Amino acid sequence: MPASSAHTTAAKEPAAARPTHPKGAPPAPGRRKREFTTRRGLVIAAYMAPAAIFVAIFTYYPMVAGSQMAFRNWKLADLTDTSWVGLKNFQDVFADPAWGTVLTNTGVWVVASIVPQLVIGFALALWLRRRFRFRGVYQALIFFPWAISGFLIGILFRWLFNGEFGVVNDLLQKAGIIDEPIGWLSDPQTAMAAVIVANIWYGVTFFAIMILAALQSIPDELYEAAALDGAGKARTLFRITIPYIRTTLALTVLLRVIWIFNFPDLIFGMTGGGPNNETHIVSTWMIKITQQGDYGRASAIGLLIVAGLLLFAIFFLLATRERKEARSR
Amino acid sequence: MTKPVKSGTAAVALGTAAVMVMSGCSAMGGGSGGTVTLNMVESLTNPTRTDLLKDLIADFEEQHPKVQVNLISPPTEQADQKMQQMLQSGSGVDVLEVRDLTVGPWSTNGWLYDMKKDLDGWKGWKAMTGNAVNAGEFIKGHTYFVPYGFYGLSLFYRTDLIKEAGFSKPPASWADLEKQAAKIHDPAKRRYGYAFRGGANGNSNVTAAISAYVADRIDPENGYQLKDGKTIFSAPEAQDAVDMYFKLFKKASPKSSVSWGYPEVVEGFSNGSTAFLLQDPEVIATVRESKAVTEKQWNTAPLLTGPSGKTVQPLATAGWGIAKGSKHKKEAVELVKFLSEGKASTTFSKKNSLVPIQKAAASDPFYKTGPWSSYVTMTKNPEKYQNVVQPRSVAWWTEWEQKADADVQKVLLGKMTPKQLLAEWDSFWTEKWKQEK
Repeated sequence: MPASSAHTTAAKEPAAARPTHPKGAPPAPGRRKREFTTRRGLVIAAYMAPAAIFVAIFTYYPMVAGSQMAFRNWKLADLTDTSWVGLKNFQDVFADPAWGTVLTNTGVWVVASIVPQLVIGFALALWLRRRFRFRGVYQALIFFPWAISGFLIGILFRWLFNGEFGVVNDLLQKAGIIDEPIGWLSDPQTAMAAVIVANIWYGVTFFAIMILAALQSIPDELYEAAALDGAGKARTLFRITIPYIRTTLALTVLLRVIWIFNFPDLIFGMTGGGPNNETHIVSTWMIKITQQGDYGRASAIGLLIVAGLLLFAIFFLLATRERKEARSR
Repeated sequence: MTKPVKSGTAAVALGTAAVMVMSGCSAMGGGSGGTVTLNMVESLTNPTRTDLLKDLIADFEEQHPKVQVNLISPPTEQADQKMQQMLQSGSGVDVLEVRDLTVGPWSTNGWLYDMKKDLDGWKGWKAMTGNAVNAGEFIKGHTYFVPYGFYGLSLFYRTDLIKEAGFSKPPASWADLEKQAAKIHDPAKRRYGYAFRGGANGNSNVTAAISAYVADRIDPENGYQLKDGKTIFSAPEAQDAVDMYFKLFKKASPKSSVSWGYPEVVEGFSNGSTAFLLQDPEVIATVRESKAVTEKQWNTAPLLTGPSGKTVQPLATAGWGIAKGSKHKKEAVELVKFLSEGKASTTFSKKNSLVPIQKAAASDPFYKTGPWSSYVTMTKNPEKYQNVVQPRSVAWWTEWEQKADADVQKVLLGKMTPKQLLAEWDSFWTEKWKQEK
């Protein structure tokens, strides 16, 4: 997932570089500046070209080609009739009685995953910033989950949460917290909680990595000055640490919202969307429809996801930018 | 942070380009010196099976020095989708694994080659069991694949636990199973009666029970239809079947089995906590590896019967087929023949834990003794263990399975009654058949 987002950011660069090239001779800027716009611009464009072409062929073309399926009758079982059907696929998506549950689940999944991930990740990063023995080892251990595939984590947690043979029930029973084993994944009430716990475990790491990197860029002088001025721990945190890493925080939260939204692996590994479709989120629902062979409807859901996330990203970026301007005033 | 990512992307892109150019070249150089290269794609991939196939292919290449076979083994979960893409592009595949699930859509889309004429008068058909010959024409009048074996259900049971509970014989009918499982079931001791499948594919056991109860009236050409054209779900006997089956959940199964899929039910039996399991023969190998259950503690029994003393074997099958786009059909047919007869076929079904397609297997000591014998018993008594074609090749099969699984879970969670479930399923199939006509 990180790789694909890197692709998209990289792809935008040449597009931005190109318009500067024809306007090659701006009214008498300094010599260095002209050199940049013509020759260097070309060089940059040339360097970017391979990536841009590949991204265009392997990302944008399939995206566009796939999007048109959303408006056609595209069922794998019979590809002899792929006529245009207008908005029928979208109507089918909304008409499905399970769609409401899927949307609610997606909201719960994203919010309930990201808040604890952020808080715990932040705390871990603050703790890891201090210098202590074997810090490197602890860092490696904490960052380890990020290197495991989501599907594998799903399968591991599926066994941990198993009602009869699972470790979770065993520990809770031995600790005297519960008397009878709980069927975590078989009860709709607890199944969503179980997948979210697994997701929190997995995602804390990313926040810890990103926030730690940002924290290390805060100059120590600021803390020293704050200490001299008599600022307490809480005050230092809210007046220095958080404002200083605000941009990183905002971007990380944005990225994570998009990734968690599009993270079907774990749910598929753990519950497959069950019991009774109660743990489906939009992206697992799309895969389910794809498995049924209805590529048209799945593609419609895909477009809805893109539209939803785009809107979210725009609003989120606007909101966080406004705050920054207000601060500078 | 952005800079290294960008150069990384470019490097990856260039690398991909290089790999693609190189692999493209090697794929094109197939026909040097009069030798033919066949691309063969498998679907139900696992590492042991891939090795086995490679051995068989080596034997084939030895007999046919001018043919080389290039085996492609995509991971199982994506295999069918990968194959669809390859078939859609029209090239790159010669021989491929076709399943009862995929033969319908793939032949409708014109991707599969009909081998019927090529295999006319082939001696291989004569050595096959009746089931196998029938499956060879899974789509009536066409041979889109030659089956390599069957996946069929039998009852895995614990010999020691049923003896302790005071029973002398394993259950023969569904009613027996309910009785024995309920008596053995004791959650306080972490001992469970039946490894209930409530999760993925849980619907298949429900329909197995229903078809056993309507065995007298079922249409042998369509396992979901009665001879009078109505669905099996509309029969009054079906109500008895689902009542019995869901009682099995309440009285004899672990609570959390609402979400049990394949790995959990097999684990439940092979870790020694559960007395009964309804599964395909490949589980024989898994249970043999178990440290919790010794060879003496378990066996298999034939599939459970309904009140009439008969039952229906919901046989699933797959086999080897040829892509319509293949340029080397003659050689491809040779390979399919080779894999479907004699030693190659026997080795494949034995090492793969499949119900064999060869008649000769009935006298093979491997199948005559131990857990395999129940499959031979079933094959020998087609009157009692009827072979009925499952409608697995219909276009809406996956849709059906997902709907049916969700409905089964609804009943288990108390959100639907068994009666409502039958009504739902009846109207689903009636509607689909109507649309088809």
